[in-house]
Formats: sequence, structure tokens, C-alpha cells
Amino acid sequence: MLSSYDLAIIGAGPAGMSAAITASQAGARVIVLDDKKRAGGQIYRNVTYSPLECPEKLGEDYLSGQALVEAFDHCQAEKMFEANVWHVGENGEILFSHDGKTKSLTAREVIIGCGAMERPFPVPGWHLKGVMSAGSAQVMLKNDGLVRDDAVFVGTSPLLYLIVAQYLRLGVKVRALVDTTPFSAYKDSVSLFPAALRGYKMLAKGLGLLNEIRRSGVEVYRFADSVEVVGEETVEGVRFKSRGESIQLSAEHLFLHQGVIPNLNMTRSMGLEHHWCKQQLCWKPTLDQWGQSSVPNVAVAGDSSGIVGADAAQAMGKVVALQRLVRLGLISEQHRDLQSADYLDFITRMNQFRAFIDCLYQPVVGHRIPDSPQTVVCRCEEQTVAQLKAGFEKGAAGPDELKGLTRCGMGPCQGRQCGHTVSELLASWQEKPVSEVGYYRLRSPMRLLNLTELSQFSQVSPVQQQEAQS
Amino acid sequence: MNADVIIIGGGIQGCATAYELAKKGASVIVLEKDRVSQHASGVNAGGVRVLGRHVAEVELSKASMDLWQGLDDELEADTGFRCRSLINIAADEQDIETLLKRQEQMHSLGHYHEKMIDQQELRERLPYVSPGCVGGVVSESDGYAIPYKSTLAFRNAAARLGVRFIEGAEVKQIRRIGTTWLVETPSQQYEALKLVNCSGAWADKVSVMIGDNVPLTHSAPMLMITSRMPHFATPVVGAVSRPLSFKQFENGTVLIGGGAKGFADRDHNRTRLDYSKLAVGAKNAIEFFPIMRTASVNRMWSGLEAYMPDNLPVIGESVRSENAFHAFGFSAHGFQMGPIIGKVMADLVLTGKSGFDLSAFRIDRFERKVL
Repeated sequence: MLSSYDLAIIGAGPAGMSAAITASQAGARVIVLDDKKRAGGQIYRNVTYSPLECPEKLGEDYLSGQALVEAFDHCQAEKMFEANVWHVGENGEILFSHDGKTKSLTAREVIIGCGAMERPFPVPGWHLKGVMSAGSAQVMLKNDGLVRDDAVFVGTSPLLYLIVAQYLRLGVKVRALVDTTPFSAYKDSVSLFPAALRGYKMLAKGLGLLNEIRRSGVEVYRFADSVEVVGEETVEGVRFKSRGESIQLSAEHLFLHQGVIPNLNMTRSMGLEHHWCKQQLCWKPTLDQWGQSSVPNVAVAGDSSGIVGADAAQAMGKVVALQRLVRLGLISEQHRDLQSADYLDFITRMNQFRAFIDCLYQPVVGHRIPDSPQTVVCRCEEQTVAQLKAGFEKGAAGPDELKGLTRCGMGPCQGRQCGHTVSELLASWQEKPVSEVGYYRLRSPMRLLNLTELSQFSQVSPVQQQEAQS
Repeated sequence: MNADVIIIGGGIQGCATAYELAKKGASVIVLEKDRVSQHASGVNAGGVRVLGRHVAEVELSKASMDLWQGLDDELEADTGFRCRSLINIAADEQDIETLLKRQEQMHSLGHYHEKMIDQQELRERLPYVSPGCVGGVVSESDGYAIPYKSTLAFRNAAARLGVRFIEGAEVKQIRRIGTTWLVETPSQQYEALKLVNCSGAWADKVSVMIGDNVPLTHSAPMLMITSRMPHFATPVVGAVSRPLSFKQFENGTVLIGGGAKGFADRDHNRTRLDYSKLAVGAKNAIEFFPIMRTASVNRMWSGLEAYMPDNLPVIGESVRSENAFHAFGFSAHGFQMGPIIGKVMADLVLTGKSGFDLSAFRIDRFERKVL
């Protein structure tokens, strides 16, 4: 490893991989840091190294990542796997844990491609043992080939249908699919449908999944609302309303999912400017079409910039890398424009498709902004709606003040699980737009950091260290 | 908008002063450029200590400690204060000598709140301390509080007595017309007969507007906190000759401080951490408490804090202007003093006098020196 690079890319998902290929081909000295063992990100996790006998059952989309991962493996960029980045400074300093040690490097330009995370699903009982997210079901499947028999899947969005379909193809018994997409969403999204047709391939795939699930004979409950997890400490079942009827299903395993949102911890802790996106109901870093953030040397690509999906993320990685190459003086603006035109068109087309998906699978208010006082919002510090309301009534106007009063968001997840809920809760209590409420000011480190590892970190000579001690 | 007194700065000193003034019947406006308790008062280590105070501060600090013991009742709020004792650990015989000298000095001044302990007692009070540590000094009354809650408790108690808190009001200009102070913010002008400067890391700017020069600097003292650990330390811990300070809260998290400074950018309300100095803090914590080896750091941060060249605060009246008063520059140990500073400032503002000797804290103490 060198001590300095032209470009550091954080995250080897579709965006990061394609950015690395583009930039290294142009002659930039590139390093890619990823916390997993292999490239691929969440979507193409282990695609070249699956524990499954027949990974093709995970679908064509999954396998299509193989070509990208192989091209990435062969490109000139330096790759550092199992590297847990815990600090990225505006000055281009990157600190990360690797092999039990903290290492540092500097880079002229930085691309953040940390992907997405699942949107929290704060309903009564979502914190009980046995409740997992559909995303974690996928991780288990892709990493270890593990599945859960007889589970109930609850929520909305294509990823939920995909994992159910993947389970069915592998012959795993699925107890039921409880679909929380409201009837109104079908009506609301109709007007966006023509534009979405430009992404007809994706659309066809989505419909194919739903048909596959229906044909399999799995119980499907549609238009479900008021979801509640039943149980004391461990999940015993799920209760919901569907078409005006109250239904309770028993279940030992429950998978919840209502879409994904950008993984904000890195872009937020770097202090990049963010804004509230009404279409996707999430915070996003504020960027131009080149992924340029509010800090000149930092760009964001892929799902961390806003949910775009794997194909658009891959295109975006290319476009964002081209602009970094301009800044590095390695290519001209004309060259960038020529190279990026088709990709920018593709991204625009994908965004129109995304607008339709976002509208159709928008999580309902009741599953985003909890109103039952006992519902846990912050899982790390076990803070409920009632406790947060009390803090708000004591005068905590913003997320940081609420954190100071209640410890909500202070735990090891750094607010990943509660940040969006808190922003929306405060907005509803204050009857203000979410954009005016804001989000937590995040603290370093971006990941839990072992104290011994930190104690061994040194960027200064021993002489200077002694001075610091005296 | 008019009041008897305008306080500039909504940290713990400003909020406590507002509370005490309002209790005595004064009408008060507090102008805060950001939000109450946003800076040093809200994000400090929460140490509430008399132990190891500079001799000039001991009387004030002791009086403040008495107030802390009953503060929750006084303010009808939860400040998170816990009396846990504070132990400064002696790592070697040289530290013991330092402590003996300190003891002699304190006794000669009539202070007996700091008690030396031997190796065995140290081990009894802190079973997980490194076996190499030889003794220490303890102050029983000390402990910690939750900074944001404490400052907010003063604010809310003051607000109940009618104090008006104006947040997001940065002072742009201060003028004295006749006997009236006119304070200009971007949106409004405020008037009062008396003015109090409690503006922390920005206090030198406010001082200049009032007419006092002061050699104040600002910096970004850094802290880190671990995720929850099994309970292993009840007292708050410091070290005699090392920059170490830590406390384990009731929820098991351990806060590690020690005064190492990061980089401060006060014009943009921002700070940057110096990780190599935090590494030294981590090393000291592990050296004194080997159980910390496996701890995980959850958050690291710093706040903007004001420092005077002698690390003593400015407390007292303006030397250039009548009816203007200062309380700032606490140099990273002012949180504990908040409750008594409120009373001292209220006395100064309303009567011009204080029962405490404030001569060491004059704003012009550096100007008077002939070089």
C-alpha cells in the first residue's frame, strides 16, 4: 500500500467497482477500500464465490454482476478488502482498520460508494427476537447459504418480493407474504407509469416476481396496514389489517422490509450537505450530476447518493469517476462529456423508472412515523416514542438536542436505525417540514473502534508523542 | 426589546446567571448565537470536581459543589448529577511527592477536602486499577452530571421565572448610549441597563465590543466514549501526572477525556479531531485500567472551548465600561462552577459586590503586567 493516491474509492459495490475500472484505465493511482472479503457490494455479494450449489436460483440479476466483479478484479486499481473505514476527513485523510491495526492514507480525490441500508420499520414489537429484516435474510443466503423455514415476510418493495421468490426457488417453505403496499399507491403511481415504461425490462422483472410468488400458492395478504409484531420477548406472530379485516398469523421467524435508503453514516459524519428527498422520503447528500458533493474533493456515487439501483449505480460510478479524472487533470472536459453522454441518458431513464417504483412502494405513514407510545424507536438505547415525546416536551427541538436529553441515537449504530424516524417524528410534532428539522450531527468513528487498536495508532514521531503526554 | 439585564451566551454560565438574576426579580434577556447549550456546556465531559483545583478557584468550586448536591431539587429537573467521588491516581513515587506538596499547600490554606490514599485503599476503591499504581488522592464530594441536561435545567428554570431566551441571535454590535446598553443582532435591537458577557469561545469578540481587551484563545478539547462495558469503576478517575480522565456511567459506557486538543474553527462552529492525540488518551486508559483493552470506542468528539493563558477564568466587572460584567474563559473546567457563578454574577450585577475574592480573575490581569 502506498501512503497517497490520486483517488480513493470507499465501497466495492456496483458504483465503486465501475468507478475504479474507469479511473484506473485512465492512469489514475486508485485504491478501493471495502469492509467485506470480496468485491460485489450487497447486491453482488459473493457472486463469484457463492456457497450455494446453484446460485442461478438467486436470479439473472445477481449473476449479471459476475462480469463486473471480474472486470474489477482485473483492473489496475489497488484493492483492500476487510478494510473498515472509520474516518474520512475533508482533507482526504482516510483512517481504516485492517488486520487489527489502524492504517492511514491520503487521497487527492475521494468517491464514497457505501450503498444503501434498509429503511427502519418501527412498528410495535419490531425489536423482538426472531424479527429480522429481509435484507439480513439475503445476507444469510448469499454468505452462508442459510435460510429460515416457515417465515412470514411483511412489507413492500421489489427486494421483499425478490427474497421471497429466491426462497421459493430454493424450495424453502414460506408461511405468508403480507404486502403493505396500499391500494392508493397503485392509483397514485398510474400517472408515472408511461415514463417508467422506458425501464420496461426492470418492470417486467418486477411483475415476473409477483407472478412467481402467486403461482407458488403462498398465502398473500394484500393492502395490509397497522402491522404489529406479537410477542413478549420473542416473536410469536404478526397482527395487521387487510381489506378492513383484522388478521393474526403465528410465526417464529418474521422478516420485515419496506425499501432501502442511502447509508448516510459516512456522508453525514464528513459533514457533507444533505437535503430531504420527498420522493424517496429520505436524506440524501446534495450533489450535481457528476456526484460532486459540497466538499470539492469528495464525490458520492450509487445508492449512497440516493436510491438508484444496481444498474444505474454502475453507470453513475463511471460518470462520477470521469469528473474526478477531470479534476486530477488526466482527461479534458470534452473527453468526459463524450464518454459520459450515454451513461447520463441511461441514468435519467432509470430515474424515471425509479420515480414510479418510489411512488408505488412508498412506505405508509403509520409504518414510518410510529404513534403507539410503546414502540421502540432507538434500538441501541431502547428509547420509545413516549420517552422521545417527553424529551421533546422538555424543550429538545432538534435531533441533536433530543439525543442529548434521551440518548436516542447515541448507541453503536450511530443513529442508522433511528435517524430517519426521529427526523420525521420531530417534524410531525412540530408541524414543520422534515428539511427544517434536520438530522443528527454524527461523530467519529464511523464504526466501533477497538481501544487497543486506537492506542497503537500514531502519525507522529515518538518525540512528539512524549510532548503530548507531558 | 427591553430588560434590566442582557446576558450574551446561553451556556451554563449564562443560563445559571439568568436563573439567579430572575430569582431576585430582575428581568433578563439571554441572547444565544446558536442554540442554548450547543457548545462547550452541552458537549463537555460532565466532570463535577473540586479535586485538584487551582488555589484561586477552591473557594468558588467548593461552594458550587454544595449547590450541586441539591441542584435537581432547586431546579426541579434531572441534571444527571451523581456523587461518586473522584480519585487522581499516583502512578509512581514522584506522583506521591507531588501529592504531598499539594497536601501541605492545601492544609496551610485550611482546605481538607482532598485526602491522600495508599495503594491498598486505591485498590479497594478501584479494584481494576493497574497493580503498578501506588496510591492517589480522593475528593468524596465529586462526581459527574450530564452536561446538556444540566444546562437545559438552568434554562428551563430561568424560563419559568420569565427569562426570555433568544436563540439564533448573534450579537453584531454593542453600544452604550447614555446609561443604556444597545445590543444589535441581525433581526432586532435589545436594550438594557446592564450587560453580562458569558460567551465562552467567542467572549473575546464580545469583550472588544464592550471595550475590554483580553488574551483569550479557543480550542477543541476532545473526548471519546465506549460502548457499554460491565461495571468496573464507581469513582470518577484522573491521574496526577498524565492527561487521563475517565468515568463509567450507570449504563456501562466509559467516557475518556484528558484535555487533549483537536483543531478548532470557531467561525464555522466546527472542530476537527487529532486522532494521534486521542490514541495517547486510549493508551493511558488501558495502561491504568487493563480491562479497557477490549473496549470499543463508539463516539469521539470535541467542542469549542475558551482558554485563558493562565487557565483561570475571567469573572468580574468590565474595567472600561460601567454596568458590564464578564464570566468566561473557564479553560475546560468551568462546568462544575456554573451554579456558583450564577450566584456570583447575580450579586455583582445587582449589588456590585461578591462575597468571594475575585482578584485572580480580573479581565485586565495580563494588561497590568509590565514586560
